[in-house]
Amino acid sequence: MIPETPAFRSQDDVLRFLDDHQGLDVDALLPLPYPYHDWRDAPIGSLTADQQARYERGPDGVSALRIPKPASEDERTEAVARFLDGLRKLLTRENNWTFLQPLMLSLENCVQCHSCSDACPIFTSTGEAEVYRPSFRPEVLRRIIDRHLKPAGGLFPRLRGQDVALDWDTLARLAELAYRCTLCRRCAQVCPMGVDNALLTREIRKLFSQELGIHMPELHESGTLKQLATGSSTGLNPAGLQDIIEFAEEDIREKTGLSIRIPFDVEGAEYLVMHNAGEFLSWPENLQAFVIILSVAGVSWTMSTELLGYDSVNYGLFYDDVQYARIALKHHQVARKLGVKKMLVGECGHAHKALMPIADRLIPRDLYVPAESALVLLEDLVVNERLMLDPSRNDFPVTLHDPCNVTRSMGIVQPQREVLKRIAPRFREMEPHGVHNFCCGGGSGFAVNSSLNFPDWRTRVSGRIKFRQILEAFGDAPGPDVRKYVCAPCSNCKGQIRDLLRYYDAWDRSGLLYGGLVELVVNAMVDVQEGFLEWELH
Amino acid sequence: MAVLLLVWVWLAAAVFVVACVARAWRYARAPVHLRWDLYPVAHEPAARRAYGGSYLEEREWWTRPRERSLAGEVSTMLSEALLLHGVWVNNRRLFWGSLPFHWGLYLLVATSAGLLVVALGGWVDWLLPVLAVSGGIGGAFVTAGALWLLRARSTDRGLRRYTTMADRLNLLTFAALGATSAAVALTADGMPSAAAAVTALLRFTAPVVGPLLAAQMLLAGLILFYLPFTRMVHFFAKYFLYHDVRWDDRPMVAGSAMERGVKESLAYGVGWSAEHIGRGSWVDVATAPPPTIPGKKP
Ligand code: SF4
Ligand code: SF4
Repeated sequence: MIPETPAFRSQDDVLRFLDDHQGLDVDALLPLPYPYHDWRDAPIGSLTADQQARYERGPDGVSALRIPKPASEDERTEAVARFLDGLRKLLTRENNWTFLQPLMLSLENCVQCHSCSDACPIFTSTGEAEVYRPSFRPEVLRRIIDRHLKPAGGLFPRLRGQDVALDWDTLARLAELAYRCTLCRRCAQVCPMGVDNALLTREIRKLFSQELGIHMPELHESGTLKQLATGSSTGLNPAGLQDIIEFAEEDIREKTGLSIRIPFDVEGAEYLVMHNAGEFLSWPENLQAFVIILSVAGVSWTMSTELLGYDSVNYGLFYDDVQYARIALKHHQVARKLGVKKMLVGECGHAHKALMPIADRLIPRDLYVPAESALVLLEDLVVNERLMLDPSRNDFPVTLHDPCNVTRSMGIVQPQREVLKRIAPRFREMEPHGVHNFCCGGGSGFAVNSSLNFPDWRTRVSGRIKFRQILEAFGDAPGPDVRKYVCAPCSNCKGQIRDLLRYYDAWDRSGLLYGGLVELVVNAMVDVQEGFLEWELH
Repeated sequence: MAVLLLVWVWLAAAVFVVACVARAWRYARAPVHLRWDLYPVAHEPAARRAYGGSYLEEREWWTRPRERSLAGEVSTMLSEALLLHGVWVNNRRLFWGSLPFHWGLYLLVATSAGLLVVALGGWVDWLLPVLAVSGGIGGAFVTAGALWLLRARSTDRGLRRYTTMADRLNLLTFAALGATSAAVALTADGMPSAAAAVTALLRFTAPVVGPLLAAQMLLAGLILFYLPFTRMVHFFAKYFLYHDVRWDDRPMVAGSAMERGVKESLAYGVGWSAEHIGRGSWVDVATAPPPTIPGKKP
């Protein structure tokens, strides 16, 4: 898809490809099955002349980071020096004890066998655009380290393939390229050496963030900084939360006939329920469904009104260890203060990983509160019949999207399936699924980035394979006459799937709707009036 | 020449051992890192391993005893090392070069170990002919595999771009090593003179060898010299990659050595320079809000 030219052989040529070529060829994207056999993609928009003058672009012409162009040659030179400083820090235990061992191992042992290439949804969706090859970004980093940091690095550069020029242009493109990978880790799963290109990509993101202050604004300024300042990356403060809760209680009453008060700041409760606050604003029915299930099942639970206690988001996971640590610590402090026995992580994939395995080795035990997945509790409630369910209420085709963080990075695979088997008689798997799933294309923060031409890329390129998988899962009823449900128990995945369905006009063309798992459970609960699912794309 | 060979082989062996130990030591001594497990994890009990599940699928997982299947880890490692299972599944094209290459190397290593046994006085009568076969097949496999890989790396558009001149020279060196090893094994007095050379080396006396064996020993020494400094140390690095990262799902326990290690790391000073980081130890920066950045509003 990216034109091959005789001179286009080295990493350096590839990184500089924008000089000769403009953007991605959407006609080379992975084809889609019926009813999308005749689908024509709109091109990925180019940045306007003004935007091009202001922002750097990746080698594919896309901008995810809106990196301002340096004002002077001095600034460019200084950035390169700072990058090298950061690279040195990345390789020290003091500055990077958090991931030093995995970083060294993955940096030093890739044999460039390319077994990982075909596992990458982005590389394969684009007809194998070189800049998206999983081992490309790490190899650029490796060659810079070999040349500029290793003793005798400058010796025999041609012999050692050190063909990456280290200048501002390379850095800007490398920073952008670190945001063309969803950190889904499919490539790592198939690497025979155990090398993890997602980890290396995240390390590149960290270096840019922690040393040069270059990050995706949605993750940093409107993400972790906002969350630490206001309590939530949505900007929701405790007063706003109060309104949301009142609305939720009223809505539950109207929709279900149940009168439930949402418990807040209950000291000593069994569970502190941690939701991604994005749910409250974009998918209030998810919050409501949780409230209904936990109350009807008689679970002891509470939510928190403390800053950060009502938002499980931790975007630091995607780009910055320091920001990650700040937020993870706050989450544990809130839970500790309330004296709950444990945290319950709602339907948010990255919050699962942030609060469970990653926090596990960061928070000293005297501050730590263990966390359990809501999917696991749901399985228990459904399998042990703590909820009265009528699966015939869900008599429509359902498929399940596996959030990468929950499955591939945590091994929580079966509970959600045990639930679906009991509440959705027409459930079918996507292929591949479970720990081998494809990312929704919105992972690692992509789903919250809607600036410049990045959303075009996200719907056409990074989400392409997922959309094809969804269509294939419903291949027996592809038309709009049969309404179908894509169950995605993760807020960020839902955001991405929503954008995919909108871009591909999938409700009208194919009758596709999406939502979480708890909504399906409540839709099948006999204690609740029929029709909890509203079948509206929003 | 004979004295040079003696020095060459011993020096190469010493550099190889010291450099490999140093590299393994560097990996092993790295601080406890945050978890980065990846599923399937091989030591989960078989039923869970089959679909990639983990103990996090249990309610209150932290209160339950954990089952670990050593057999799962060992069988996964063996099928990776001996059958190159991952390459078979994900990279069939390279597999046909990689498998003979690796098997050939295993056979050459086994042959060398056999020669050591002979040199130390064991089972000469029947062992030398066996070693001639293993050395011959091993050498042929290494050469065939290395040439296959060289071809793939030169013709495949994707691989070519990532293959450096040093990679090509390395494969050619292995091909030459395989060819000379096979030739030594197949000549009539090849294995007896190889055994005599090993005996001489063990006694620190100059080995008396013909040109073929001399070339073989020079090439083997050359490879031992540079191998530990390349990515080909995956023969032991892979253990760390799998065992210490991918499959490392150990939860931290109060009062454990792991927790002490993490607390030590949290006391390190943070030297990152971006404006939002702040100053002090990891504990200091994690417990302080990000410094206010003039002109930038969250
Ligand atoms: S990351 Fe692994 S699979 Fe990919 S090229 Fe490197 S060694 Fe091969
Ligand atoms: S982590 Fe996923 S998106 Fe990133 S390179 Fe690997 S397979 Fe591709």
